[in-house]
Amino acid sequence: MNWLELFPVALFFISFFGLLIGKTVIKSIVYILLMQTSVILFWLMLGARHGTAPPIVQDAAYLANLDTMADPLPQALMLTAIIIGVSVIAINITMLNALFRKYHTADWKTLDAMAREQEDNDS
Amino acid sequence: MLTFFVIIPVFIAVFLFVFSSAKTARILAIGFQAALTVWAFYLLLLCREAEVVTAVGDYAGVLGIFLRADSLAAAFVLLTSVIFLVLSIYALHEDNSRLFWFLLFLLEGALIGLFLTRDFFNIFVLVEVSTVVVAILLMYDRKRRNMAAGMKFLMVNIIVMQFYLFGLGYLYMLTGVLDMEAAASVIQTLNPRDLALPYALIMTSIAAKCSLLPLLTWLPKVNTMPGARSSIAAIMSGLHIKSGIYLFIRFQEVFGGMASDLFLVIGVLTAIAGVALALTQTDIKLILAYSTVAQVGLIITGLSVGSGYSYMGALFHVINHAIFKVALFLGAGMIIRLYQTRDIRNIRGLWRGSRMISIATVMAIFGIIGAPFFNGSVSKYLLGASVSGALEWVIILINLGTILVFLKYAAMFFGTPPEKLETSSAWRCKLGAILGLGALCLGLGLFGEQAIAFIFNAQVSVDALGYLEKSLIFAASLGVGFVLYRYVLAKRLDSARPILQRLKALDFGFGVLCASMGVFFAVVLVVVGVWGA
Amino acid sequence: MLLFLLILWILSAVLVLLEQRPYRIVIYFGIFSLITSVAYLFLGSPDVAMAEAGISAFTTIFFLVCMERYYAARRKVGAQADSETRANTVPVRKRFVRILPALLFSAGLLGLFIWFIPTGEISTHLRDQYLALFISDVGGENAATAIYLGYRLYDTLFEALILVIAVVAVSHMSWFDGTAMTGSGRRRAEIGHSSMAVFTMRIICPIILLFGAYLFFTVHLTAGGGFQGGLAVASFFICRYLIYDIYDIPIKKVIKMEELVFIGITIVAVLAIFLGVVEFAQIPPVIYLNTMNVLIGMKVACSFFILFYRYIAIERAS
Repeated sequence: MNWLELFPVALFFISFFGLLIGKTVIKSIVYILLMQTSVILFWLMLGARHGTAPPIVQDAAYLANLDTMADPLPQALMLTAIIIGVSVIAINITMLNALFRKYHTADWKTLDAMAREQEDNDS
Repeated sequence: MLTFFVIIPVFIAVFLFVFSSAKTARILAIGFQAALTVWAFYLLLLCREAEVVTAVGDYAGVLGIFLRADSLAAAFVLLTSVIFLVLSIYALHEDNSRLFWFLLFLLEGALIGLFLTRDFFNIFVLVEVSTVVVAILLMYDRKRRNMAAGMKFLMVNIIVMQFYLFGLGYLYMLTGVLDMEAAASVIQTLNPRDLALPYALIMTSIAAKCSLLPLLTWLPKVNTMPGARSSIAAIMSGLHIKSGIYLFIRFQEVFGGMASDLFLVIGVLTAIAGVALALTQTDIKLILAYSTVAQVGLIITGLSVGSGYSYMGALFHVINHAIFKVALFLGAGMIIRLYQTRDIRNIRGLWRGSRMISIATVMAIFGIIGAPFFNGSVSKYLLGASVSGALEWVIILINLGTILVFLKYAAMFFGTPPEKLETSSAWRCKLGAILGLGALCLGLGLFGEQAIAFIFNAQVSVDALGYLEKSLIFAASLGVGFVLYRYVLAKRLDSARPILQRLKALDFGFGVLCASMGVFFAVVLVVVGVWGA
Repeated sequence: MLLFLLILWILSAVLVLLEQRPYRIVIYFGIFSLITSVAYLFLGSPDVAMAEAGISAFTTIFFLVCMERYYAARRKVGAQADSETRANTVPVRKRFVRILPALLFSAGLLGLFIWFIPTGEISTHLRDQYLALFISDVGGENAATAIYLGYRLYDTLFEALILVIAVVAVSHMSWFDGTAMTGSGRRRAEIGHSSMAVFTMRIICPIILLFGAYLFFTVHLTAGGGFQGGLAVASFFICRYLIYDIYDIPIKKVIKMEELVFIGITIVAVLAIFLGVVEFAQIPPVIYLNTMNVLIGMKVACSFFILFYRYIAIERAS
């Protein structure tokens, strides 16, 4: 085990802590982004355990330095994860904007109370 | 071949969205769903002989992605296509835009993909796709949608998927592959202590998907969001939650049935909590949603017992639950439209008001409480067949709780209906859809043995004497339930005791939801890591 | 070096955590993303680093728009007594006591996590096979590209799909139901923005476009690819917005085009990989890789362009 991998683990729980105490929706979204980043960095560190050269073949003699290359699989996977993450965040932020328009607040507690009120009126 | 089960719905979804009008989309939707159901049936027939495997691309070893259909996966695909066919018939005369059909098809493609794929990362991608699509569908109604609850749903699901991805990292580190079957063979050779962390991380996300005990409030809440249509609530409760259960089954296979004792306990507790919460509600959709939680607890219990009949019974109960819960939710949607209220105390005289809806709902209720000759009875018989001692009594008690919940629900059939109840001719499709599901409940009950043999390719024998015994137990618990409900509970549940009010309005804040994720993670990690399996 | 970066990385994250003022959170988050991107580069993954850099530009913009709306909303209701206002009046010591249980809980989870971290070595089974086989199997010179356009194309298809869904979702979830946009069409400098910024942007703008095109077409050779190229092209439009206050691009057509490109991607993917036409017809892999990359690049560029315009022109308007 490479002890540098403790950094993403630590960030994962720092952002988890943020999610626990976060009072506004904005902060919660930022912490989710931090969490995503920490997981992505963790995967790339796994891929770089056996070498940190980019997995790009520049010349025919690449077989010689195959051992120093990073694992290409985590990179391809994390590219996908990044795009998925940003799409979901974009949706979240749009919802947040609509929320501001309607309720004029981003506070979780106030929002919950207002949502409950709306449900009571509805039923 | 399997690739096209996923690609074609997605392709048609986008194609319709770009090129067609809402009307053609509607007609094409029905035709396509019917064709897909037939095709899924054919797949099930194929799987009876051998597993159908498709390697996407033609790459050596486990380099590419594999789609595999064994009889379990094929059964889920068939279930998905049948439910979506019924939903398309149900939604035929609603004024849905192209967007609705687009999202419905995408969801179908994503769910089928989830059932067929055996690649860990592909599961992550498909779960994200289905979550986002469901979130949009839940907020389909622009005017009445509840943004705050929707955001909570979406964000909680994103966070649990981060847990999943993290666990996947460690799993990849240990096994070096992303294919389930290849990983399962490597995992057997590993030290259980090393597996504790990936297992706990992955199971946290799956438990949240199935809404197991500490994480159970988000699901009922989103089901009853004002903007969510009943058809969407039916998908949420009937199918989307089944994808979580399916992943649970698959991952228990991969990890070789780790921590099944823990999940037995969690399943029982979830069932009890679900029943207790359902009893306190007055909103008919919330009653149904919490009863889903109870049934999921029952299913997880059956799956964790591990021995033949109970496992089979739990699998069959997944199928059954999807059928009767969709019927109940669709029926509830029509009832709400009829009475213009969701409060069960104000809905009376449905039997005289609308005979057809009542018949379908009664059939579904018979299914869910396990009345003889209905499908629930077969699966509950099998669930209880290979357990003994305290657990058998627990299962009977849970069923008693379910009976209580649905006695409360059934109160709406009696009494006198209000003056004007308008039904329209456009309801014929809707009635046909829910009556079809009701008939399916009866059919699967009468031919339960054959159905299991056909769907899961497994032989079970329903012992006539044992079945009679279970029926007697059912009759007894129905009697006890009736007395208990009529003379003890009915008055107390309506009283304004603070504890009841608190249970009724149970809604965790965002921070508390995250904390419950952490608690679940810690419990699984400690149990698996310290006591080992 | 990596250690130094990681320490900076954690510090910037803590800065985000401790900050209470929303605008600053966004700024600190930008710093955090920058450091992350450099760290990715040090870990031997230039593709991901490039994507992260591009993505973080967009995320920051989304957040800035969101903050603007937030302040507008708060001004509207005045200093309402929600918990944020209250939090600022609570003394620091009391605030600390309040968050202490959460802090202990997360720290406990962290400890538990570290205690159970598997100690095994990473299995290199897949890595070795990919590196040895990708040239003959898929072609190109970049192994990561070969994986996401060859071995795991099935995933990439859903990734493109989720962008389509995001665009649909953003226009459906938004408070504004439509695509109308307004703009004065004048140079920013004339409206009163810093003319130096506008001048700089005008120089940078074509360079970015050129860079995007370069990324499009050299994917199989170096780092970068459809995603990164698409992001670069989309950021060209941001620069254009910074120069002119103008929305003259018909957004409906772009949305249509995005969906058509997605259909194109599906067709090419099904034909080339799922049905194996590339292998069957002996098409040189370079042609396949470039086609796919250009399509994905167009897709990503369209999606982010739509998202950006949506945020700037509609979400921002009050």
